[in-house]
Amino acid sequence: MPEFITVFSAEIVRRIKSRSFMIGLIVGAVGIIVMLRLPTYMDSFANQSYRVVLGGDASLIAQARPLLAKDYNISGSEPGLQHPTGADIDAHGRAAAVIVFSRAPRGLGVTVYARDPGSVNETKMRRDLLPLHLALATNLTQSQVRTLVRMPISVSPLESKFGSAEQADAARGIAYVLLFLLYLLIVLNSQLIMTSVAEEKTSRIAELLVASVSPSALLAGKIAASAVLAIVQMALWVAVGFAVGAQSMSGASGGSTQSIAGAGSVPVSDVVGFAVFFLIGYLQMAVLFAAIGSLINRTEDIGSIGGPFFIPVIAALLIATTALAVPDAPLVIVTSFIPLIAPFVMFSRIVVSSVPLWQIALSLAINLAAIYAFAVLGGKIYRIGMLLYGRPPKISQLIRALRA
Amino acid sequence: MLDVSHVRKDFGSVRAVRDVSFHIETGSTFGLLGPNGAGKTTTMRMILGIYAPDAGTVTWNGTAVSPATRRRTFGYLPEERGLYGKMKVREQIEYFGRLHGLVDPQVRDRSDRWIERLGLGDYINRPCAELSKGNQQKVQVACAAVHDPQLLILDEPFSGLDPVNAGILLASLAELKNAGTTLVLSSHQMWQLEELCDAFCIITAGQNRASGTLEQLRAAWPTRVLHVEPATAAARAVLAGVSGATFLEDEQAALHCEVPADAPLPQILKSLVAAGDVTHFEAIEPSLQDIYIETISRA
Repeated sequence: MPEFITVFSAEIVRRIKSRSFMIGLIVGAVGIIVMLRLPTYMDSFANQSYRVVLGGDASLIAQARPLLAKDYNISGSEPGLQHPTGADIDAHGRAAAVIVFSRAPRGLGVTVYARDPGSVNETKMRRDLLPLHLALATNLTQSQVRTLVRMPISVSPLESKFGSAEQADAARGIAYVLLFLLYLLIVLNSQLIMTSVAEEKTSRIAELLVASVSPSALLAGKIAASAVLAIVQMALWVAVGFAVGAQSMSGASGGSTQSIAGAGSVPVSDVVGFAVFFLIGYLQMAVLFAAIGSLINRTEDIGSIGGPFFIPVIAALLIATTALAVPDAPLVIVTSFIPLIAPFVMFSRIVVSSVPLWQIALSLAINLAAIYAFAVLGGKIYRIGMLLYGRPPKISQLIRALRA
Repeated sequence: MLDVSHVRKDFGSVRAVRDVSFHIETGSTFGLLGPNGAGKTTTMRMILGIYAPDAGTVTWNGTAVSPATRRRTFGYLPEERGLYGKMKVREQIEYFGRLHGLVDPQVRDRSDRWIERLGLGDYINRPCAELSKGNQQKVQVACAAVHDPQLLILDEPFSGLDPVNAGILLASLAELKNAGTTLVLSSHQMWQLEELCDAFCIITAGQNRASGTLEQLRAAWPTRVLHVEPATAAARAVLAGVSGATFLEDEQAALHCEVPADAPLPQILKSLVAAGDVTHFEAIEPSLQDIYIETISRA
């Protein structure tokens, strides 16, 4: 135990003093801010950047303007304009389209003259102009039409984890952010372990170390220190996320931002799930990457040798994001038990659906057993690998050495 | 007392150590010799418990030692060695002291003592990567020995050291020896080992080839070289008459002749004196290097 504490505290100090840790911490926090701000910014940018000129019937322009204002940047109007030319589209600054309104036999007639016809979102435009169209077609007022189209739809949960659609959306938004956080924390910290082990190997301090401390205490101290620092990182990033989210919530009404900003209402079970699956995923990856690091003889080989081992984690992230939409898909259910993938996929399922308790228990049991198996195997490889120099061993040589 | 008895170690189909045995008295200094690939490092790793022997035993004071006790009782300077480049000298030595079980304020006292002993006082707050190779090596020695181990194993401790630093290290090892530390040294610099060690073991291809004190190794040496001056024809004739004698290189002023170890030296001297003036007569004992080269070439 004292050996573990010595390695643990030395690793903490060394990592905190390292430039890479501080840069990672700051870049991560900035990344969170950007990730939370970007959807709102992109929405507003998209709306603001889609500048349109309104033309045609003056009275229709007046009625359509407020309906289009929330989705389009209306740069000006040209009453009476029926067949716009290139000069008309730039008459009020460079616009993307000229929308010409006319009365049609069955309501509103709309013709869009666009620089890029593919950029015209007909569905959005139809939705915005629907009250005016129906009002013209039925001779009702727009307010009567609005009342009529607001057909009440009641959503009641059935076998659902959520009480309302808003709650479900918020949960998905939060889960999406947490999944990426989980991915970042696991990948970054596992890679740091691999780099740290590889550096000890390449700097030839490994043999001096293994004569001074048991390899298992050395490995455990490194992994535990990295986990603690990852939790510190996570706490800081989550705090930044809450702060930015809360600010966005008070200042914006964008759907995605609002759902993320609703992180204040994250259920305790999700937080516990996040912590548990972070630890499981991290421990699995950290032990494997420490073993891989011990086989590396040149620091420049870290990327090429370690890279392929990220593939299961990237696959896990993709499946987990799919699981947010379809948590009961067979692929999602099966992969939520497979080590290295389960920490992401099962977490996703837990956040957005009611996973049977036995499935959670089975997944935990399989993945805890996998940690043990990885620790035994990874520990052996680490112990052997730290003292192996020269060309990286072939798999067959490694198996022989493991049997020895 | 360290007892290594018939240890064997295989790595897959490669037999790194076939059968090595030796015995080291507490407080003595022992030289483990052999060419590259002879199995010295693997043997050292088995003593330290880094590898478990496939056969044979390693005991310290008559009992097998647990890994934890080994780490507190033994120290090891490996041939392949490095340091944490960004860690400062004192921090590094203290870190290894703590790994070996030292606690404050003991760890600070012992570190300071090694810093002073090895002349590292000017560098204590400098990152190790900024030190010269020789000074880095001294830090590594301090890291291996900071816990004042009962048994200190040093694999090629002098390689890369300039004569001044080698002298400092030799003095430190002599100090440890006087304090009762059991030392195991492996080096290709035979003269240093000859000066320091009480006993030796020469291994090649993972097997013992010769072992014992220098006197015992010399006693087993089959020949002696006679150095006779002046180099007269009469003296040459006397030496030629010795059974099994072989003349070595010719010198104008002296004769060098290899004779069997059991040759009657007093009688040869008497015959030489009877044949003419003899100003110098010496039976040269083989050096450790001679014994080493002969032993590995015979293997």
